[in-house]
Amino acid sequence: MDHSHHMEMSYTDPNSTMPPSHHHPTTSASHSHGGGDSNMMMMMMPMTFYFGFENVQLLFSGLVINTAGEMAGAFVAVFLLAMFYEGLKIARESLLRKSQVSIRYNSMPVPGPNGTILMETHKTVGQQMLSFPHLLQTVLHIIQVVISYFLMLIFMTYNGYLCIAVAAGAGTGYFLFSWKKAVVVDITEHCH
Amino acid sequence: MAMHFIFSDTAVLLFDFWSVHSPAGMALSVLVVLLLAVLYEGIKVGKAKLLHQVLVNLPTSISQQAIAETDGESAGSDSSPVSRTHHRWYLCHFGQSLIHVIQVVIGYFIMLAVMSYNTWIFLGVVLGSAVGYYLAYPLLSMA
Repeated sequence: MDHSHHMEMSYTDPNSTMPPSHHHPTTSASHSHGGGDSNMMMMMMPMTFYFGFENVQLLFSGLVINTAGEMAGAFVAVFLLAMFYEGLKIARESLLRKSQVSIRYNSMPVPGPNGTILMETHKTVGQQMLSFPHLLQTVLHIIQVVISYFLMLIFMTYNGYLCIAVAAGAGTGYFLFSWKKAVVVDITEHCH
Repeated sequence: MAMHFIFSDTAVLLFDFWSVHSPAGMALSVLVVLLLAVLYEGIKVGKAKLLHQVLVNLPTSISQQAIAETDGESAGSDSSPVSRTHHRWYLCHFGQSLIHVIQVVIGYFIMLAVMSYNTWIFLGVVLGSAVGYYLAYPLLSMA
């Protein structure tokens, strides 16, 4: 299963109350984050990593982090979101494997070598389109795509604390959920 | 910030100290990003191979422990090799989780580099992914 993140660049302005005139690239609006160089073009969005907790926009227009306590809460929330994303990936894999246990056998007559008729059996492993497991997989897929884009947007804030939260949450989630998956695959499957 | 791909020799990538001014610097940055993409593809394949190796080497001991448990025997003398195997399994899995974190971080770094909207960097990432896939994926089917 391909575990690569979606690398699509869907730029959405996190602060929807920003008037469009601020998108002009030669604006000199200063961002109060550290690491801003004294170029002519000051970016509205930080384009380099920084560590800070003043006036950090997080995904939605109402979510602004201003204090260290709020940053700690955001760290925990992002950590849990990344962990949940890894768990969702593993859960979808195991659900898919479980629902594909039902194998359909399909026999059809085939002309044989001496003019006899042989029965050829086709084995199809899959899901019907309107079956419940497939609908569940689709819903979980949508949730997974949305959460992966949220994590990408969080990483795009370039805030060092939040980026570390994403990475640590992904690692912890992988550690907790993939361990369980590997052990189950070990004992219950006879041939890999 | 320009919202379209541009050809340019100036860019600031990821960190404050990584600011590119000249064609030579841009060429070097494209090379670094290319190698990063090759490394990303390589780590993907490496993780899958590592998992496969671990699963092939360890199932016999874990199934032995499962058999011992179902037989109801108190694993007195058998417990030490089994616990060592479990210890090895935890170490292997912890190492894999670290590799997973590195993979996630490199993936996000590549995404942020592409976000600079510099066409050279983007082409470097695409070429690096192609080269990395070309070099690494045949190793996946080898046992």
